[in-house]
Amino acid sequence: MATESIKYLAPDTENKAKTQVFPRPGQHTTGLIDWLTTIDHKKIGLMYGMTALFFLIVGGLEALLIRSQLWDHNMDVLTNRQYNQMFTMHGTTMVFLVIMPLSAAFFNYLMPLQIGARDVAFPRMNALSLWCFIGGGLILNLSWFFTGGSPAIGWFGYAPLTDTRFAEVVGDMGPDFWIFSLQILGVASLLASFNFITTIINMRAPGMTMMRLPVFTWMTLIVSFLIILAFPAITIALVELMFDRTYGTNFYDFLEGGKPHLWQHLFWIFGHPEVYILILPAMGIVSEVIPVFSRKPLFGYGLIVFSGAIIGFMGFAVWSHHMFTTGMGVVATSAFAMLTMLIAIPTGVKIFNWIGTMWGGRIRFDTPMLFALGFITMFMIGGFTGIMHSSVPIDAQHQDSYFVVAHFHYVLIGGALFGLFCGFYFWLPKMTGRMLNEKLGKFVFTLMFLGFNLTFFPMHYLGMIGQPRRTHTYNEGHGFETWNQIATIGAFILGVGIVIGIYQFVSAFFNKKLKPAGSNPWDARTLEWALSSPVKEYNFARTPIIKAKDQAWENNYGPRENHAEKEPLDDHGVHMPDRSWWPLVTALGLFGLAIGMLFHRNIDPSGELVRDYTAPILAGSVAVIGMIMWALEGPGGYHLFPKENDE
Amino acid sequence: MTLKMISFFANHSVFRNLFSGLFLLLAGSCSRIDHKQSALDPKGLVSQNQYDVFMLSVWITIFLFCTVGGCLLYVLWRYRAKNAEEAKEIPPQSHGSSFIETGLIIASSIILVILAVPTLQGIVLLNRVPDANDSESLEKLGLDRSQIDGAITVNVTGKRFFWVFEYPQFGIVTANELVFPATKAVRINLRTEDVIHSFWVPKLAGKMDLMPGQENFMWFIADQKKIMGESDAATAMPAVHDGTMRSKVFAKQKFTDEFEPVGGLFYGQCAEFCGNSHAYMSFRALAQTDEDFDQWVKRFQNAQNPNLQTKSYDPQTSYIKNSYVSFADNKLGAGANREYRSVRKTSPGQSPQVAPGAWEKAHSDDYEKGKQLFSSLQCVQCHAVNRTGLGAKGPNLTLYGLRTSLAAGWMRNDEESLSKWLKNSNEIKFGNLMWNGEGIDDRHPLRNLQDDDEKVNQLIAYLLGQS
Repeated sequence: MATESIKYLAPDTENKAKTQVFPRPGQHTTGLIDWLTTIDHKKIGLMYGMTALFFLIVGGLEALLIRSQLWDHNMDVLTNRQYNQMFTMHGTTMVFLVIMPLSAAFFNYLMPLQIGARDVAFPRMNALSLWCFIGGGLILNLSWFFTGGSPAIGWFGYAPLTDTRFAEVVGDMGPDFWIFSLQILGVASLLASFNFITTIINMRAPGMTMMRLPVFTWMTLIVSFLIILAFPAITIALVELMFDRTYGTNFYDFLEGGKPHLWQHLFWIFGHPEVYILILPAMGIVSEVIPVFSRKPLFGYGLIVFSGAIIGFMGFAVWSHHMFTTGMGVVATSAFAMLTMLIAIPTGVKIFNWIGTMWGGRIRFDTPMLFALGFITMFMIGGFTGIMHSSVPIDAQHQDSYFVVAHFHYVLIGGALFGLFCGFYFWLPKMTGRMLNEKLGKFVFTLMFLGFNLTFFPMHYLGMIGQPRRTHTYNEGHGFETWNQIATIGAFILGVGIVIGIYQFVSAFFNKKLKPAGSNPWDARTLEWALSSPVKEYNFARTPIIKAKDQAWENNYGPRENHAEKEPLDDHGVHMPDRSWWPLVTALGLFGLAIGMLFHRNIDPSGELVRDYTAPILAGSVAVIGMIMWALEGPGGYHLFPKENDE
Repeated sequence: MTLKMISFFANHSVFRNLFSGLFLLLAGSCSRIDHKQSALDPKGLVSQNQYDVFMLSVWITIFLFCTVGGCLLYVLWRYRAKNAEEAKEIPPQSHGSSFIETGLIIASSIILVILAVPTLQGIVLLNRVPDANDSESLEKLGLDRSQIDGAITVNVTGKRFFWVFEYPQFGIVTANELVFPATKAVRINLRTEDVIHSFWVPKLAGKMDLMPGQENFMWFIADQKKIMGESDAATAMPAVHDGTMRSKVFAKQKFTDEFEPVGGLFYGQCAEFCGNSHAYMSFRALAQTDEDFDQWVKRFQNAQNPNLQTKSYDPQTSYIKNSYVSFADNKLGAGANREYRSVRKTSPGQSPQVAPGAWEKAHSDDYEKGKQLFSSLQCVQCHAVNRTGLGAKGPNLTLYGLRTSLAAGWMRNDEESLSKWLKNSNEIKFGNLMWNGEGIDDRHPLRNLQDDDEKVNQLIAYLLGQS
């Protein structure tokens, strides 16, 4: 690497030496310690992505077990409790440990590159977010090994099924693991979101006005706002549930005057924006890919951004459509039905605009484009069945039937997952510097598209002829067998497709035989494509001065006045912060706190309940010490001096 | 206008055939969509409304999918890059047209209105029983005033994992099989004593949740014409009260048949996840003619009337013919009683012991022994027989021999299934509370019936004798 570096000598060097217990790992850290202490948004993004892909395999295996159990009537692959645990874990894993972190991976990796920034605003906070995510995922999956096994309450955890009063295993700890895991995952999401918002608002390169932001960055911003507004609701709901379970309060215990409805409102006022948290990033990705492969700018950029914001805003006003059958009365039900129908309009706008983008273009059908087209069509079907559900009389039949299962898998696999895979195929050349094998990519798309439709399309029909969801088996004589078998076959095909896809993604980092990508293999439009592949650790050698939307495209094809300029080189170089242990230590503290709280209760020999807070207090102290040391360790860092055009 | 449109889409035979044709394609080998629990085969006013709105939405979305998908296909074909050179061309960089965008927004809003109007009408319909005095809307719905005036009320209580059906107007309670008059509105009050359940009977009325600490409401009214189809009332809705329903259902079809030849038999299911055995929480609803329903109510009222229960023989009383008394019979065991029926008028003191010719055994020996077992095996702790027993832990078993199904609709209620069920219910419904409830462990007599055919047969004789 053509860079030299000097140790950064800050004026407070002496003070720093006094407060530092051990120094921040510096420029030449490599190997495991580098990955554990890194605060580079690109490495954090990669770890986010790889962990999420691992959980995608875990959640996928759970799904395949579910599908095997439903192969025929009265199957014995799983017991009913195991099945219920499976669908709870499958849902929770896929929502919180797969789709959200995969989106976060792209946010992390790309958003700073798209706005011309050195890193996110708070790099260490970003690392804490990553470690909290991994800790939360661990806690959830550790539940398999303790009393009662994993939670069997559904990913929605409806009260009062979560109450200890209705536990079906004595001393069932599953729901507790679930509560603590979601709380820590919530911390991870909140940290990341505050970080992204601050970054996008404050760290855009000169000339990168808000209305020149790439759509993916816009979606990052909107989703981040959704997260910071939606997660407090579930945090409160979970705290109340934890108090109900641990200290015997009565927030949801109807026998003591609590209100199970409260849980549903709190859960869905989080849960519905969550749906948009899952889908908007994928829409952002597709909005980047379609213009590139049509060689045209996005049709109606302003409208797409605005409709994204409207979807985010209205996402908070439709939560009760998950509760149409809970007896809310005519007025509330009607109001939420109408609002839900309205939200279809901004969603439809996006589809029109994507087609408008392709109109008059030169369309290439590379793998990312195939996934983007798959996204549009599958998301359309999911959206249409969504409109059906907004109509209460229809919902009265569809609610909790397999029709709904079909609907949201069309949105979350055909939509979100296809969108994210599209992102992988599109940006991995940027991340690894290598082109992925096109033929294999198209094969993966074919498998996934076929398998997915084979699995989920028959479920519409199964729901209509009366198969309820979340049932571990069905009786003979209902005519459910044939289509369940087809769905199971489809699920395995989909599974094979996803596994090959993941293999392809991971091997791109190691397989030296793949073609080198060059800086802009797709002839793409946004700023990150002006950088080399893989991106250098300092991102931009000189801060770019942005002159137009789609800056990379304008640099190549635009008029001279639209070409980006660069801030002049100075002798200051690029300041790189040192790595830090404290995000990891703080996350470990939080992890220990949760584990300590899970096991703080014991029954002593005389049968008394004994509470021992030593472990949680110790672990909590570690987290607090981590934060204090974090504040005290000082900026540290070093300077890199890249050459003129070295980026 | 929209109403007209719905009825046009829903009733126009061309569209109807087209749609069933679509499903035919989809369903491949099985050409029918009237499965036992199918929402595509509505047999009531509310479910018909739901079906109509659904079909409207299906047509709207098929239209949209074809239009938008067609545009997409056209664009992909028309503007594809045909070769490597073309893929490098730079097309005009147009980036939007507010005219087209606004137009599309307005068009999609209009389409939504077409769905919104029937939606609002449907919300009112499924939440409110029409006013009996509002003859105009009754006429629109094709109802007669008497159908609303004569409405019956059923309090449904969900328990893990079965259903209690209480008829407050008649003071009777049954479980897992809801008997209702086909021509009258049925008001359903939904309650639960544990977690959330959901009452779903697709062919009659969709679903509504049972929320703890809250009473929810739904209603339905069956469509007698649709239930009967081309047959008559006796074929479509055999009487429950004399066991005709049970025997006809058993005779006409196998349990595994996918379609129900008896139109008046409806299948329902708990639709909200409620714990381990949620999948097993199903139920039946049996439609009856008014007359049969009245008879059924009367039988139940008599069976559950504490004043009409068989009393011990009283030497001071003279009994008329066909009186029932209970009297000691040592053949059944020390201190055991048996039920006797008088075959003629008896004068005071003519007990079954003194005048055996005047009395006959009301039930077989197996029945009487089964009755004893029902107590000694502690069945009575959870199951009420011949009493309302609200709040009992298990399903009410009054007139159990009339039921078509066993174990909350999971099996056919015949000797064979009942024997399997009694011997090891855990094998059939893993985690069921009869096997796993509080205080039941391997020492419990119930868990030790596997090899005891004699006892099982006696219990079966007793249970199926409740008819």
